[in-house]
Amino acid sequence: MTPEPEARAGQHRRPRSAKPPLALVVPAVLVALLALTPVGYLFFRGGMSLPRLLHELSSPTTGTLIRHTLLLAVGVTLASIVLGVSLAVLVVRTDLPAKRFWTVLFALPLGIPAFVTSYTWVAAGYEFAPRSTFIYGLRGAIIVLSLALYPYVYLPVMAALRGLDPAQEEAARSLGARPFLAFFRVTLSQLRTAIAGGSLIIALHMLAEFGALELLRYQTLTTAIVQRVTVLSAPEAARALSVVLAVGSLLFLAADAFLRGRSTPTRMGGGVARSAVPWRLGRTKAVWLGACVLLTIFALGVPLYSMVTGLARLVLAGGAGFDWARLGSAALDTAQYAVATALVASVVAIPVSLLAVRYPGWLATLTERSTWIAHSLPGVVVSLALVYLSVRWLTPFYQTSALLVAGYIILFLPIAVGAQQVGIAHASPQFDKVSRSLGIGGLATFFRVTLPLALPGIAAGAVLVLLNVGKELTMTLLLHPTGTRTLATALWATTDGEVLDFSAAAPYAVALVVITAIPAFLLIRQTLQPSRGGGSRR
Amino acid sequence: MNFAKGTPRATRLPSLARVGLLVLLGAALVSALAPAFADGAAQAGSSTNVTLTVYSGQHESLGEALAAAFEAETGIKVAVRSGKDANLANQLLEEGARSQADVFITEEPGQLAALDEKGLLAPVDPATLAQVDQRLNPDSGDWVAYAARSRVIFYNPSLISEDELPRSILDLTDPAWKGKFAYAPSGAFVSTVTYLITSIGKERTRAWLEGIKANGVNLQKNGAVRDAVEAGQIAFGLSNHYYWYLLAEKQGGPDKLASKVHFMDNGDAGALLLSSGAAVLKTSTHQAEAQRFLAWLTDPQGGQRIIATTTPQYPLAPGVESTMGLKPLSELSPPDVDQGSLGGVDEARDLIIATGII
Repeated sequence: MTPEPEARAGQHRRPRSAKPPLALVVPAVLVALLALTPVGYLFFRGGMSLPRLLHELSSPTTGTLIRHTLLLAVGVTLASIVLGVSLAVLVVRTDLPAKRFWTVLFALPLGIPAFVTSYTWVAAGYEFAPRSTFIYGLRGAIIVLSLALYPYVYLPVMAALRGLDPAQEEAARSLGARPFLAFFRVTLSQLRTAIAGGSLIIALHMLAEFGALELLRYQTLTTAIVQRVTVLSAPEAARALSVVLAVGSLLFLAADAFLRGRSTPTRMGGGVARSAVPWRLGRTKAVWLGACVLLTIFALGVPLYSMVTGLARLVLAGGAGFDWARLGSAALDTAQYAVATALVASVVAIPVSLLAVRYPGWLATLTERSTWIAHSLPGVVVSLALVYLSVRWLTPFYQTSALLVAGYIILFLPIAVGAQQVGIAHASPQFDKVSRSLGIGGLATFFRVTLPLALPGIAAGAVLVLLNVGKELTMTLLLHPTGTRTLATALWATTDGEVLDFSAAAPYAVALVVITAIPAFLLIRQTLQPSRGGGSRR
Repeated sequence: MNFAKGTPRATRLPSLARVGLLVLLGAALVSALAPAFADGAAQAGSSTNVTLTVYSGQHESLGEALAAAFEAETGIKVAVRSGKDANLANQLLEEGARSQADVFITEEPGQLAALDEKGLLAPVDPATLAQVDQRLNPDSGDWVAYAARSRVIFYNPSLISEDELPRSILDLTDPAWKGKFAYAPSGAFVSTVTYLITSIGKERTRAWLEGIKANGVNLQKNGAVRDAVEAGQIAFGLSNHYYWYLLAEKQGGPDKLASKVHFMDNGDAGALLLSSGAAVLKTSTHQAEAQRFLAWLTDPQGGQRIIATTTPQYPLAPGVESTMGLKPLSELSPPDVDQGSLGGVDEARDLIIATGII
């Protein structure tokens, strides 16, 4: 979320880096290798050779699937940028009434998983416009998914905007630039890193999304991969398409690095930045307020409506046939997996983050970026890799909670790393030097100085991981211990042949949203805290 | 102004408290999870307290209803692993001799027949095989049919009348049908393709798939096909009878629905009757209990009763009739086929991928 901007800022504070200690490099590289195991599986699983790969990819479908996937990823990312940046500007830079209220409201879709949003749109579609197919296909998927995902751009951009010094923009205006142009040329370019960070998360998410797209009837590489595994029992063909996805994610990562550019917002002189003079909306105020209301209806109203009416129907029917104990056990399992993953992922992410922030260079970049690749693979492929490995070499762990948690860690590690970098960037190495000069050892300094200073960022990372584990679907379907279920898989089971009036799904959706809303709320609150948002802070 | 640099410590306290709380919570949970982490190892050994592991490709609710009833009647515990036929079959192949699975129950005959060809299945007790409609059992006798579903056409009478529907699904390659019908590449669709390969050959099947891809709308899931036809988004769709009766049951009867279900009456591939099968894995360490599960599943007083009353699939024990108002099994006219011959899932898979359906 807010991570990236400041992580870079941290790097720039230390243009020339010392050689990283081996005690840091070894664990960081080991973690990166762990994160790369699914990629290794893609390429080295017996039977996959280059000719085989080319044969699998020569099917006419491959081109169509690639085109679909790119259109979706680019479409949803662009739409989210437009939505996220506009809303951020609206709540930070204008005199919109009830700003505080809208600021929080616009961030809330973060707590609703994309496949739940899609499910509720489909249910509402059947209720209000049964014959319409407007929400299906590419158009529908872009609309529904950008409504679900724009907070990933909105939050960091909003935080960065609040932290920006308006002085440069004012200078541009004093030189004769019109207000909008000044904002566009000066301020927007300073938001580049914040926008890039959020966009990367969304674009990679689109590479790996499954549930939402199956519901919205749009075929991508990932839906084809999942169907090849679950319907056709064709893991080789699924792996071939996954190789394409892995390459695609590398392209996105490169594009991200390019978009960020090398410049980071800088401010000369001391003191605290003033806040910008808000733009007056004037007579258009009513129009903007209307737009805000409309957006809230689309992004929050539709999901809430389907959940509440679904739940109401179930309760009115006396809860007939609904297994509440099952809901309870699913909620408990979800919470346990989420907390366990958040804790372990936070610990193993620290060496990677520390290396990336304190010792920038090719090794750090390679280590940090390799954690991202598995993130863009569908959970089902990472699961296949873990099934393959654990059945052969880690038999006692096969189909245990431990393996599932390991899978979650591989999927969501980069999210923890991203957030931790912000925290670690706050823990200036100057403090370490002081500590060391007082005769305190390296490890003790880490625990007594660096760690406490970096804790907010580490906590934010843990919370983000928590949020993502709660929503995870396709990996859980394959790796969960026999006889257990999570809220996401139980919810998904209701789409399998059930009737789309959302009654059977509603309790799971509500429970899932309640669980993911807690971390989402913590994150939003942290982002809103003036002392620590994203953006530049000197 | 320097003061400002000191204040973060004060504002950071709440989040530190949060982290502390998180750590405490985590520690509590790790201790709670510890037994779960060892759950894989715990099962082996003790024979007095057997837990059967059933891999189930059935809809999750049916798999669990069967497990609960079996457990209640026999005292043998059952752990169900729900998934899709193909995915579970692949998992069984990966696991090989290390598999914890004792029983595999599926929705479709294809993956079971394929595992049978690879020699993974133990022969089923003949008494169990004798309990159900013999037409649905494979000739090999290595798995037993416990339920069936029929391929059908759902249609919306406001968009097309029953006598305008195609006489054969093979006709759908005609451009006249373009945009008129929906389909979903589900397991039953794969079974249809497998059947077509055995009956009309690979090349004609490929041409048929190309026609379906060109003329039909791929809605990904059978439930979506049903809902789209019911809502009038599309005139008709290829699917399984199961999904339509499920909706009818929920809405209070077949007459409550706008759409209708059409059973082809001429032995066409569009009327294919498909077994849901059950098998005991050769590698199972609980052979006796696993065979007992299959015997119970096909018993008119056991699993068949559950199937007849909780799911609109056809029970297969003579004398057991579904309570869901299905068109009687005896009135259907499916093509004549050995369910055990539908194991050519690899060929079907290659064609489905090559024609771009998945």
